[in-house]
Amino acid sequence: MKKFYTFENVIINLKQYWQKRGCLIFEPYNSEVGAGTFNPATFLRILDRKPWNVCYLEISKRPRDGRYAQNPLRFQQFYQCQVIMKPAPSDIQQIYLESLECLGVKLKEHEVRFVEDDWESPTLGAWGLGWEVWLDGLEVTQFTYFQQAGGVDLQIIPVEITYGLERMTMILQDVSSVFDVKWNNTLTWGDVYRQNEVEYSKYNFESAPPDLLLSLFNSYEDEAKRLLEEGLVYPGYDHAIKCSHIFNLLEARGTISISERAKYIGRVRALANQAAELYLRKNDEQATLPDD
Amino acid sequence: MSKQPYQMIDFLLEIGFEEFPPRFLKPAAEELTAKIENLLKEKKIFYRSIRTIYTPRRMGTLVLGLSRRQKPQIVEIQGPPKKFAYDAKGKPTDKLLGFMKAKKLKPSEIVSKRTKRGDYAYGRKEITGASTENILHSNIPRIIKSLEFPKTMVWNEKKARFPRPIRWIVALLDKKPLRFDYADVQANRYSWPNQHFSFKPIRLEKPREYINFLRHGGVVVDPNERKKIILTRLKQSVAKSKGKPVYSDAMIEEINCTTEYPEVVIGEFNPQYMKLPEEILMTVLRAHGNVIWIKDTNEFVYVFSAKKKALQNVQAGYSRVMEARLQDALFFYQNDTKTGLQSMQEQTKGMMWLKDLGTLHDKAVRLRDFAEVVKWLPSAENKALKRAALLCKADLLSEMVREKEFTSLQGIMGGYYAKASGESEQVAKTISEHYQPRFVGDTLPKTLVGACLSIMDKLDNVVGAFLSGNRPSGSYDPLAVRRNGYAVVRLLDDRTLDISLFRAIDKVLELYKKKFDISVLTEFFIERMTRYLQDKGYRYDEINAVLATWQGNVADARMRCEALKDFRDKPEFVKLVIGQKRVRNILKGVKKIAVINEELVKEPAEKDLLKVKARVGPNLAVMIDNKSYTEVLKLLLEMRSAIDKFFDDVLVMCKEVKLRDNRLALVNSISALFMQFADFSQIVIEGGKTQE
Repeated sequence: MKKFYTFENVIINLKQYWQKRGCLIFEPYNSEVGAGTFNPATFLRILDRKPWNVCYLEISKRPRDGRYAQNPLRFQQFYQCQVIMKPAPSDIQQIYLESLECLGVKLKEHEVRFVEDDWESPTLGAWGLGWEVWLDGLEVTQFTYFQQAGGVDLQIIPVEITYGLERMTMILQDVSSVFDVKWNNTLTWGDVYRQNEVEYSKYNFESAPPDLLLSLFNSYEDEAKRLLEEGLVYPGYDHAIKCSHIFNLLEARGTISISERAKYIGRVRALANQAAELYLRKNDEQATLPDD
Repeated sequence: MSKQPYQMIDFLLEIGFEEFPPRFLKPAAEELTAKIENLLKEKKIFYRSIRTIYTPRRMGTLVLGLSRRQKPQIVEIQGPPKKFAYDAKGKPTDKLLGFMKAKKLKPSEIVSKRTKRGDYAYGRKEITGASTENILHSNIPRIIKSLEFPKTMVWNEKKARFPRPIRWIVALLDKKPLRFDYADVQANRYSWPNQHFSFKPIRLEKPREYINFLRHGGVVVDPNERKKIILTRLKQSVAKSKGKPVYSDAMIEEINCTTEYPEVVIGEFNPQYMKLPEEILMTVLRAHGNVIWIKDTNEFVYVFSAKKKALQNVQAGYSRVMEARLQDALFFYQNDTKTGLQSMQEQTKGMMWLKDLGTLHDKAVRLRDFAEVVKWLPSAENKALKRAALLCKADLLSEMVREKEFTSLQGIMGGYYAKASGESEQVAKTISEHYQPRFVGDTLPKTLVGACLSIMDKLDNVVGAFLSGNRPSGSYDPLAVRRNGYAVVRLLDDRTLDISLFRAIDKVLELYKKKFDISVLTEFFIERMTRYLQDKGYRYDEINAVLATWQGNVADARMRCEALKDFRDKPEFVKLVIGQKRVRNILKGVKKIAVINEELVKEPAEKDLLKVKARVGPNLAVMIDNKSYTEVLKLLLEMRSAIDKFFDDVLVMCKEVKLRDNRLALVNSISALFMQFADFSQIVIEGGKTQE
């Protein structure tokens, strides 16, 4: 008989799997992010030369992807399981495939394809080479060897593995719509999130006030600059993340033209780069401090 | 001692990596094999056969029937002249003995050889070849390192560069692995199977086991065999279907580069999506790699690379994904139709086109104003052109085209939305085809109005690129200006439009309201023109001759080249060219040309030439107007004997200044007649004398 995997069990299983592989189990960031990469546990920690293995759930917000709960595969907020291993183990691909088996995907009965997809986040000044991983045609993971972050060449190459948990579970449960995904034995994803999807689609596309957003963007940017100049990496970077989310909202709202778009991205990237440099500088200072 | 230098052995090199970018794969694998083949040839190592291997997770070379050693080489070293090498009794002299000692030669290795400078003693010996093992061992890592790729990465502290991480290397010479380290990978005898089959390495005793052992591991290593399997399975699977699968060679090659073990499945989507425009359907399906639409049906074929047991899951999965994607496309399509093209056109006011050159809306207005001068179109068509020009960039604001996956549908979507917004069929069609040709070799717009808008848009792109500092140089051409320029030339010729490209550029500059050195643009188009005419098969000297006097009319230049090409085979052609070269030569260095004074024309040959000129001149003008270029050439040829006679009988560079100036003026007027057609002095006559 086919074993049944609830949404929550998928999350628990993945955390356990990566815990056994030596990852620190971390938790989501506490403000809106577009991807697990924005979490300081990835963006800042991959910059230095120290080993860093971590796994955490991230709630990713993509305002433009909302569909008023009308599309079975598109929604404006989804769960990611983010894994960073630095340095990347040489058998990482197999470790990843075994994580799928641990979730109940028998490789002999499915097709897993690594489809070339060089990932880039212009907002974070980060890019890497890798793939989208398709499980029976559905994109379930982004698999990337980072080369650069915050405009800095990485000294130790980390691998980033990002699972899309809703899609992953859809395959495991053999359902066609995210709304039918069983969260636990009594409630579905739709029960938990349908209203949220409808309302946020409305907010993102129709109700979000552009003027307020623009002024928030400017304020957060000023604050990020001030904090970074004061030498505060984490609070400064936190405000850069806020800018990034505001920018995503502005884009969903359709108030940003193509040329302006590049400018806004450039402004957030400048903050991210500044945070990365500051992080590395403080890291070097710590490394050179004499022991007490 | 049983030495068997010619005993045959086999060699396998397999570089294993994580899934390779498909478009890099085949060229890289072929480069690897070519380099190994070159090495073997250069080192004189015999082999019977060599083949290239690649799958998404490996590439390599399998060499069968290799000799164990390099072919022995005969080396000859020149010694002293024979007369100094032996004494009167025929015994070796000290000179020869010294030579032998220095070169370590035995008496049996000394031969005599006749050279241009007399007989010499030569040392001649056979050098045993180095072992194939040593040669491969010391060269293979270098060859791997020398492979070139468009894009590479690093993945560990060794910082070696490759498109994706190298995870294993098989380097097996017969039963023995060649031991070397590359990017932290130790070469050995272990290959790896298709991951859907097993995670256990495959131990290879010898290279000949490779193909079959790997097949058992779910890997067809030979790309040609895989391609055959794909095509056969594809045919079998659609045998019962009502439609035909739509695919190109390039698609099959891409599928080949993304599968290790091809299996085929047919999927389905809800027939309601068949109402989406065909281009959208195709784009949605094709964007999802390895999917081939069966035209006119709601079915598609997918080639996968796992166990056959996976078929049902794959079928269900792909059908589900396609359904969702089509639903997404329908969502965009319906939203866009609701918004309407007119409203998107309004939004282009907020959309910057190129830095410092205004918005997309500004561009559209420029195109519409440009259309004003296309007065030779019938008024209904001119009206359609103006309307289409104004609307043609609006779809860039549509949700569909803004989506990365559908960007390639720009123009095509504009056409659909125009129709939906109540624009005329002609306006819709014009918008739809105005990006054509989108790439080299793409089809041209089917309608004249579409071709006009395409030319105008591309001219605007080219001029805009130069104005904004994006002028192409070397491999730098970020805005694809060269492709745009070439397309303009191609379109103008295809429609034989009687338009001067130079005047059109002037107009575009005027519309931009910018000052710019037009000669830079003229030069750019002369280069594009040269390229175009070369591609049409004209010789470089014909092209140079025609373009030296070119006024910017593309089709006209092509017709002149054609006439020249035809005329070239005729015996008179050489005479025509030589006549003209004489004229040009004598005019070289002459700065000021006087007006012909007929009273100073005295010699009979002079008078004759003047008469001929007076007769030919007006006729020539008429023929050139009619573009009867073959006739033009015949007419010019008629002057030939008069020119010859003139040069034979009359001394142009005579001492009397007035007379000389007058004769030069006459010669110049003849030259001017020729120049109305082309600069004949650019023609190169082979084999014959081209000077007087």
